[in-house]
Amino acid sequence: MTTGPLRFPGRSAVLRLLLAAAAALLVLSLVMVLRDVRDNRLIGGLAAGRDLAVGDTAVPEVRFARAHFLMQRDRLDEARAEVERISAADAAAVRAAALYDLANAGLRAALEHLEAGRIDPATALIRIAKDDYRRALALDPGFWDAKHNLDVAMRLVRDFPEVGSGEDEQRPDTAKPLWTDLPGLPRGLP
Amino acid sequence: MRTPAALVPALALILLVAAPAAAAAGVRSVTLAGPRPFGLFIGDAILLEADIVADPGFRVMTASLPRPGPVTYWLDLRSVAVEDGGVRDGAGHHRVRLEYQTFYAPLEPRALDIPSLTLTLNDGARSAEAVIPAWTFLTSPLRELRSGAGGDGGGPYLRPDVPPRPVDGTVGMLAAAGSGTALPLLLALNAWHRGWWPFRARARRPFMRALRVARLDLQMTGDAGAYRAALLAFHRAFDAAAGRRVLGDDVPVLLDAVPAFRPLRADIERFFEASRLAFFGADTAAAIDRLPPAALLALGRRLTAAEREAG
Repeated sequence: MTTGPLRFPGRSAVLRLLLAAAAALLVLSLVMVLRDVRDNRLIGGLAAGRDLAVGDTAVPEVRFARAHFLMQRDRLDEARAEVERISAADAAAVRAAALYDLANAGLRAALEHLEAGRIDPATALIRIAKDDYRRALALDPGFWDAKHNLDVAMRLVRDFPEVGSGEDEQRPDTAKPLWTDLPGLPRGLP
Repeated sequence: MRTPAALVPALALILLVAAPAAAAAGVRSVTLAGPRPFGLFIGDAILLEADIVADPGFRVMTASLPRPGPVTYWLDLRSVAVEDGGVRDGAGHHRVRLEYQTFYAPLEPRALDIPSLTLTLNDGARSAEAVIPAWTFLTSPLRELRSGAGGDGGGPYLRPDVPPRPVDGTVGMLAAAGSGTALPLLLALNAWHRGWWPFRARARRPFMRALRVARLDLQMTGDAGAYRAALLAFHRAFDAAAGRRVLGDDVPVLLDAVPAFRPLRADIERFFEASRLAFFGADTAAAIDRLPPAALLALGRRLTAAEREAG
């Protein structure tokens, strides 16, 4: 620009920069909005019971929705793989909720085994569920529903200290319990 | 539904440990503060803060700190941090923050101990031991002892799942709305700045630009150089208005080209006289005398108005 000697030199340049920044921000935010809309449509579809695949770059909320879909259909191993891919650093609350739901699904499956009298698979499932509840609580110590259901699981299969625990680098939950109070289910009270 | 992540240490409970044994070399006292020692439930986080007072120069050895992880089958250590409180009253202060989490599922209220810890302090030559005492608390059950079946008898009552939630789209929406508003405004500003449609008429107003330049020049310095620069700016505007170079003798040509300037004929001629004095006579003072800066700006304003009238 042919401006006078004392004029602020970069008015055109500043304007151009602002324009470029606003345009870039608009493009980015539109991409973001479109992605959110697509993700929410995916989450809605999974909630409605459609078996939709999620990509490698899916956001935690989508992974959680997919995992929940799998849990409700007793595909616990696939659900676990999905839950483990939710990063605790990026989405601690989503991961805690997903671990909690996974533990609930395991516990419900265990209760079905118990009803049919299959103690061993039930015990194994309950132990895994307890560990998942603990991991959810480690992410969010104020997660009351997880405390409640962990308490339920603990009464089904109690934790006990290892006997003669020498070099206990082992996780306590993987230790063999001395005793379980499985038959303590008060079914058909007198 | 949720409580704060960690129960904040209540200063109500401070176990002051007279540490005569540890005081032997370096460590003077260890004070442990924790949250309320009762009403704790399964999964609660417990933040213990140990204040160690030691001789100046002593530092807590990192290697002697416990590592986060399981402590016992029902207790996890979530995090460990040491804060150096500096030297006050001739003693070094150190605060050790230990965040534990209990996973004990009691059937009735039950006292539990977080075990004591021994930390090593070192000042380069000597080392001393600080014993953080055990911390006892009462943990309570969440449910009745015989709270087995739910109402319908289908196994124990479980709290329901957390349903998957949709992605929170507010950030994207806000950014889109913000930039979507800013972009048209900036585009309009740019069009105005460059004289694009609908501000095209603006680009055909050389006197407006000249007036702005002259005003800036005269206001910033106001000396002879600034005056001449202002004259030059108007010369360029006259050239642009006439579509050719305009000198003192060309005023009639200019008035033919821009009839709207006719009423200003006398003033325009005065401008060219002053200009001749300033540039050819090299006598800026006389020029200023003939057409003072205020009069120059006044002329500029009237020329701008006339130019606007002409479209």
